[in-house]
Amino acid sequence: MTRKASTSLAGLLVLVFSLVSVQLPAQAALISTEQLAAEATLAAERDLLTERLLRDDVKAELLALGVSADAVQERIDSLSHAELAEINGKLATLPAGGNGLGTVAVVLLILILLEITGAIDIFPRI
Amino acid sequence: MKAPLTRILLGVSLLVLAACSSTPQTKALLANPVPGQHVSQRIDSVVFHPQDAYQCGPAALAMVLDHSGVEVAPEALVERVYVPARQGAFQVEMLAATRHHRRLPLVIEPRLESIIAWLDAGEPVLVLLNLGLSWYPKWHYAVVIGYDLQARELILHSGLIPNYRMSLALFERTWRRADHWGAVALVPGHLPVAESPGRYFTAASAFERFATREQAEALWRAGVQAWPDSPELAMGLGNHWYQQGDLTLAAGVFHTLVNNHQNYAPGFNNLAHILLELGDLAGAEEASRHALAEDDDNPTYQATLTEVLAAKEQD
Repeated sequence: MTRKASTSLAGLLVLVFSLVSVQLPAQAALISTEQLAAEATLAAERDLLTERLLRDDVKAELLALGVSADAVQERIDSLSHAELAEINGKLATLPAGGNGLGTVAVVLLILILLEITGAIDIFPRI
Repeated sequence: MKAPLTRILLGVSLLVLAACSSTPQTKALLANPVPGQHVSQRIDSVVFHPQDAYQCGPAALAMVLDHSGVEVAPEALVERVYVPARQGAFQVEMLAATRHHRRLPLVIEPRLESIIAWLDAGEPVLVLLNLGLSWYPKWHYAVVIGYDLQARELILHSGLIPNYRMSLALFERTWRRADHWGAVALVPGHLPVAESPGRYFTAASAFERFATREQAEALWRAGVQAWPDSPELAMGLGNHWYQQGDLTLAAGVFHTLVNNHQNYAPGFNNLAHILLELGDLAGAEEASRHALAEDDDNPTYQATLTEVLAAKEQD
């Protein structure tokens, strides 16, 4: 079996066995590694969402957050099922490492005070 | 400080802040040094990429990838990880981008000791920090490249500053607010520190799709070697052999697996399927029934048995 075909098969297995409540003929086959990984996390979510819907949801969120249409598909395709399920619906508040600095004067004052006392470390030179 | 009152106020606020920000991992690390532990370490070969505005993600990722042998400029990673409206990069996308570049992204254990261990093994550690507060977070990616236990410091490439020294205590506080998240980028098959079979399995199964045949084999072999008792890692290796068409090797892996884990249904099911293909119908039936004995509702296991029985009838 070619790697591409087996990848498709693995994907099909994940799809088939994530639709517990849907009447599809079961395939006699292996429990794929990807399915095992998906089962290990967020089993409840797996029952409710197809792989496809999950990808579409996260894709829509990324597009809404300004990711380019050229880039978004490949980015989605690079995420595992567990990762997609983990972030689905949460992209507005997930940590996004960027190190942007606030510019509001009051906030800055508070931050400088906290910096001096060592509670935070935004300003490396202080 | 001029007035005593100011001094008192500052003292009180410092006490309050100190009480709110204990650093248990730092204390434990410094109090209980591992025998033979280096006092200091620095991986000098980690190239420094200064970040552009909000681009600490691409810069940090470029640094760890570069160290793992993948030369990539931060600019090339922007398209993969940067989210404009959030002005930053999500952790899962940092992992996904690592996979795209054919390196295994492995999330490390949430402990300072883990960072130390990976540094000792020569692997720089990508970390997420919250440089602000829990209610006003400033998320930031940096790369830990060394430590100095005597000075009680970690050494990071961070933002615009290479070899930036940060106290262990302050690092712990900013890292804790990021749930102690760190990751390394490994050449597939290279596993110098064996911490968690579960995390490794998660990483390997997510990476497999991007791996060459050799990388996938190396990946699973390294996992099984580090954790010979892990059923999931054995499944990964066995399934890999199956996908490569090597049924005999696959059967061997699954045989060992079910001998070691006599209640592990997925192992029995997959063994049954492979024995069926190899023509050992009696063995296939036995294994298949074993799987169903553990989980009689499972449609895959039922279907496997049905197919085995159908083959027996034709025999």
